[in-house]
Amino acid sequence: MPAPFPYPLAFGFMNLPLLGWLAAAAAPLLIHLWMRRKYREAPWAAMEYLLAALRRQSRRLHFEQWLLLAVRTLLVVLVVLAVAEPYLERPLLSLAPPGQTHRVLVLDGSFSMAYQPADQTRFDRAKELAREIVESAPAGDAFTLLLMTAPPQVVVSTPALAADEMAAEIEALRQPHTTADLPAVIPRIREVIEAARRERPRLARQEVYFLTDLQRAAWAPRVSKAAEEELRRQMGRLAEAATLMLIDVGQPAADNLAVADLRLLTAPAIAGRTCRFEATVKSFAAQAATRQPVELLVNGRRVAQRHVDVPAGGEATVAFEHRFDRPGDHAVEVRAESDALPVDDRRYLAVPVRRSVSVLGIEGRPSGKPFGGASAYLAVALAPGDEPGVSPPVDVEVAPESAILERDLSRYDVLVMCNVAQFTAGEADVLSAYLRGGGSLVFFMGDQVMPERYNRELGPAAKEGNRLLPAALGPVVETPEGRLDPLEYRHPILEAFRGAEHAGLLAAPVLRHVRLEVPDDTSARVALRLPGGDPLIVEQPVGRGRVVLVATSADTSWTPMPLLPSYVPLVQEMVAFCLADRMAGRSILAGEPLRGIVAAAEGWTSVEVRTPEGDRREVRLSGLGNQRDWTFAATWQSGVYAVHTAAPDEQEQRFAANVDTAQSDLAQVGLDRLRGEVWPGIPFEYKTTWQEPERPQPMALRGGPGRLHVVLLAAALLLLLVETFLAWRFGYQTQP
Amino acid sequence: MDDSRKYLDPKVLSRLSGLALRARLVVEGYVSGVHRSPFHGFSVEFAEHREYAPGDDLRYLDWKVFGRTDKFYLKQFEEETNLACHLLVDTSESMTYRGPAAAMSKLDYACCAAASLAYLILHQQDSVGLAAVDRDIRALVRPSTNPSHMEQIIAVMENTVPEKKTALGPIFHELAGRFDKRGIVIVLSDLFDDIEGMVKGLKHLRHRRHEVVLMHVLDPAELEFPFDQTTLFRGLEQAQQAIVEPRALRRAYLEEFNGYLRRLKYACRALRMDYVQLRTDQSLEVVLSSYLASRGRR
Repeated sequence: MPAPFPYPLAFGFMNLPLLGWLAAAAAPLLIHLWMRRKYREAPWAAMEYLLAALRRQSRRLHFEQWLLLAVRTLLVVLVVLAVAEPYLERPLLSLAPPGQTHRVLVLDGSFSMAYQPADQTRFDRAKELAREIVESAPAGDAFTLLLMTAPPQVVVSTPALAADEMAAEIEALRQPHTTADLPAVIPRIREVIEAARRERPRLARQEVYFLTDLQRAAWAPRVSKAAEEELRRQMGRLAEAATLMLIDVGQPAADNLAVADLRLLTAPAIAGRTCRFEATVKSFAAQAATRQPVELLVNGRRVAQRHVDVPAGGEATVAFEHRFDRPGDHAVEVRAESDALPVDDRRYLAVPVRRSVSVLGIEGRPSGKPFGGASAYLAVALAPGDEPGVSPPVDVEVAPESAILERDLSRYDVLVMCNVAQFTAGEADVLSAYLRGGGSLVFFMGDQVMPERYNRELGPAAKEGNRLLPAALGPVVETPEGRLDPLEYRHPILEAFRGAEHAGLLAAPVLRHVRLEVPDDTSARVALRLPGGDPLIVEQPVGRGRVVLVATSADTSWTPMPLLPSYVPLVQEMVAFCLADRMAGRSILAGEPLRGIVAAAEGWTSVEVRTPEGDRREVRLSGLGNQRDWTFAATWQSGVYAVHTAAPDEQEQRFAANVDTAQSDLAQVGLDRLRGEVWPGIPFEYKTTWQEPERPQPMALRGGPGRLHVVLLAAALLLLLVETFLAWRFGYQTQP
Repeated sequence: MDDSRKYLDPKVLSRLSGLALRARLVVEGYVSGVHRSPFHGFSVEFAEHREYAPGDDLRYLDWKVFGRTDKFYLKQFEEETNLACHLLVDTSESMTYRGPAAAMSKLDYACCAAASLAYLILHQQDSVGLAAVDRDIRALVRPSTNPSHMEQIIAVMENTVPEKKTALGPIFHELAGRFDKRGIVIVLSDLFDDIEGMVKGLKHLRHRRHEVVLMHVLDPAELEFPFDQTTLFRGLEQAQQAIVEPRALRRAYLEEFNGYLRRLKYACRALRMDYVQLRTDQSLEVVLSSYLASRGRR
């Protein structure tokens, strides 16, 4: 980008570094001084008359000398300035206020801008208008460019003067599939304006152009009163700093149908077993849609089709079934019939299909006797027998505590800690990384458990990042007699027991438990309470996994529950609940960052992300050790992203990025409402087309790069002729 | 051109050693053809009348003519046996200048001219003397008609070393006092001196009834300033020096120099003195013969 001269000069230069050659302007003076030292000597008799002539002509000679020097210096200066390609940032001869304006172009990047009522999308129309603004602006105006997305994108942050380069930047913009986050974009606009004011003080005027479809969901979001007030205040401050212009590219009435949700009902997906999916199709239209075809595609291949009736402004669900033949990550897509806004007619799901579920039981007190250890009961409860279709096949391994550090935990879906006395700081780090990678933990208590050590390494007293436990561990107490409280079966773990009160779960006696203290301000939820009110099962999401904390033992030492029939479904539901969240990190909204953890081998520095458009991007790994993090933020498009790790352990993970159908409603906010309710008292101009307003134009010395330097070169040529004439006229040069 | 005349070219003269030989060449080459002396003196043999001018000796007024015409005329005579010619040669440092186009320095040229005139005058059996001057009288040779006197004059000129500034005004005053016999004073100098001072001195000479001839010896470079490179000019008589771009200053210098020449010529006319400009690149034969011829026509 060209760099300007500081205020108050009216010029900027395309090739600012070339101005260093201005030092060459000293050359005529240096040559003059050098010539003074280079002369011949001669005796002279008529010195009196020579000196008299010199005295008489001294002033004239000096004048001629300085005139020639000035002409020669100016000649060099003009040539250097011409080569540096100057441009006028404001008209020199205009009596009007300085015409340099910083124009901030803010294009609405929400997916609703992909609406295509005719041969052009709203986003294309916005780009066209943005180009018109740039190309019709007076020379010297500067431009910055932002995309109103979530999060906002600053595409050109430094004020650009070259209209053609700016037009190319606009042309290169691709329609994002995110929502428009107006509250987030306003501070970014102000940052850009403030930075431009600091760096380019001559940009006296600021104008912010919102090229948008004025979607109600974006411009009048349903937020709290306080948030609404804050947004109004932010917009007011922006209006004080700049002239606001809303350029409407939307249509007042626009119907839309969207696939609002797609869920896998039978998580986890196991190869060879039937998976059930449910999609929600939502209408944002005044007319009901009947027999709308909805397709299920797996890895891009259509595998099922249904028809659905969607009431006007309502929604309908569609169920699909599919059996995955092989394990691995699969891309699932539900597609409704394409309308004028095809972006939200598709919903994606990345489904990791497993051969089986792997559970590792960590035995705190290993025993050689049958059912001598707590994990033996778990193993039986999780894999009671081969009952296809009833429960997923579970591979249970039992290992001592040392396995936490020795084994590659990423191979396991769930780790169950049974009566483990304590954890070291190193073990806590490993477990924390395991949770970030999507694994889940289940803790059972026992007589070896040292509550204070749990609290110190994993609980409230642990270091930031390692506070995994959903509750602080208190003392071991005797459990009062009575029935368990299922808390109305609200928790998914207990949902299966709803309507089966006689299954014996609630009557299961618990003799002893660790008193759990659940903090108020966390996301921890109590699934089941003991008689007396103490929590028995508490869980919370941690990282991309979950932690379930059970206040009593997994074996019969503190409770006879493992011997009761309800123990098997309770444990299985716990594991299923943990596994259900393993897919949570695989689905994001477009614009949110993708994150993952890989067990990196030595020498790995990056993973490769393939976007839905087919672009391949390299993403560098961060962190140290075997568990390395990666983050990919450029998820502006909806679709399936594939992440490849390098050979030899090549594997592909898939992630689904979907649009936020909360903004699928294409209704506009309306100009009257915007002026009256949303932004009362905030001045802005409203337009639907663009025409550069007439401004006083100076008669001469205007022009961008490519015109002014020609004038300078012509002036240099003229000076060259003047210099030749003067040199001939004066002789030169004389020093008294 | 006659063979003898070609030797009068300054370039040729400059190659001849000895002023006596040079003078003889100049005089015998051309002047010997002149049978009548161009230097009019006072003789018993009447030659012509000349209008009276203030300062003229009233003894030579022709009262008869006055009686007839009421005008004062002086009687002039064909031969003057008692003509005394004083040659004043400026031997100051400025006379050593020799420009790029000149074959000899101004001093050499002046000496050559002085020797030629001395030879000529002695050849006419008149007396001739010499004064070598700068700001002092460096040498003085009383006028004599003895032919061997020539050797003495030449010896004085050859042995004088130029080393001082010119100050002709006081010198003229002093010599006016010393020259007791009225005669012709021929000044050979570049006259780079204060004109006012010189004029006062010359007036003194004229007051003593001497006829004065100013032979202004100049180098062509001084008249034309032909230089075209940046030059450091070092003054011959002054410590000053100046770096000059000659092309830029030529016009101003020439204006200054020609102004000086005009003032000098004006003073000469005012004092009724002959002014003869001798360019050192010109043939002595041409200059002397044309001047002597013009004198002869008076």
